[in-house]
Amino acid sequence: MVLSGWEAVFFWVFSIAAIFAGLLTVMARNTIHSALFLISSLVSVAALFILLHAEFIAGVQILVYVGGVMVLFLFVIMLVNVGEEERGQEEIFNRSRQVTTSVIFCGLLVAGLIYALNVGYEGIQKRDAATIAQTGAERRAADQNLAASATGASKITKGTEWVGNGLYRFGSLPFEVASVLLLVAIIGSVMLARTLKQEAAVDDVAPDVLEKEAIKDPELAEVPATE
Amino acid sequence: MLLLIFKIFTPVLGLLFQEQSQGRMALVWEKAQHPDLSKFLIIGALLFIIGVAGVLTRRNIIVIFMSIELILNAANLNFIAMSRYLQETGNMNAVAGQIFAVFVIVVAAAEAAIGLGIVIALYRNKETIWVDEIDILKW
Repeated sequence: MVLSGWEAVFFWVFSIAAIFAGLLTVMARNTIHSALFLISSLVSVAALFILLHAEFIAGVQILVYVGGVMVLFLFVIMLVNVGEEERGQEEIFNRSRQVTTSVIFCGLLVAGLIYALNVGYEGIQKRDAATIAQTGAERRAADQNLAASATGASKITKGTEWVGNGLYRFGSLPFEVASVLLLVAIIGSVMLARTLKQEAAVDDVAPDVLEKEAIKDPELAEVPATE
Repeated sequence: MLLLIFKIFTPVLGLLFQEQSQGRMALVWEKAQHPDLSKFLIIGALLFIIGVAGVLTRRNIIVIFMSIELILNAANLNFIAMSRYLQETGNMNAVAGQIFAVFVIVVAAAEAAIGLGIVIALYRNKETIWVDEIDILKW
């Protein structure tokens, strides 16, 4: 799997964009800025998916993550109060000792992972050397027939068809389980996000809690009565 | 245009670095022009580490959730890159990685929905989103 020409250019552009947007997600003071940087990081990774001939996953990534999950995030950010953070009055990071420890830990993790990946990749390349050479030769032969501007650039593949086939042939049980998981998540988040008044309306509050809260908010005592 | 710059600069930089450091930089430049599986895996590892750093250092619970999304996304990148590598080394039908990525996205969506529901319930009761002030389970 070797990219060349335009693919290599796009690879570096999008991977550097993804990493910088990820860093800014973590460093931004304003939570809305964090969310927007996360969106650009996710879109860049979706572009990397297209370079990897996974057009379907790239589309799902943009539709589900950017279209669904990030909108949910933005709604919640706007529901909760982040005023102090924006005005620069609150510290956005943990205490400096915690930050130092975790940054050192993450640096060690980076070094270890990159070392392990290089060593592991050398091993896997040695194992697959013959097939890599063969596909590389085939690819170079195919590149000879292309116009210079089209060298190595991705084209629409049959990947989506294969993913659909595989999903229904080998992954149909996990697919159904995933739909049940989503149903449970919907019901769970609706149950979690109810207000006390909404809970009282369906008679779902412990009587002593309701009595205590009704002193503060007289409206609450009337809600079950109106039902 | 970019490709043109790329193509013009390649031999120039190759010449420059060959004289300076025995072609070591030229080799790096040559490798950078042909990113392979290991580059994708390293990008995935870096995104993962950024997410871990965000979870460990930030105080805002919503940013911590966003860092978790970053971590899951890095895992997805690894799945897809490995799937592509298997496709290139013979098995054109190797799509298990892509199928797994779909499930990771599903789990991430469910996690975000539940997590943000908890954040809203917590904010209603504690009036805070700073994780070091949410300590009702601590004694």
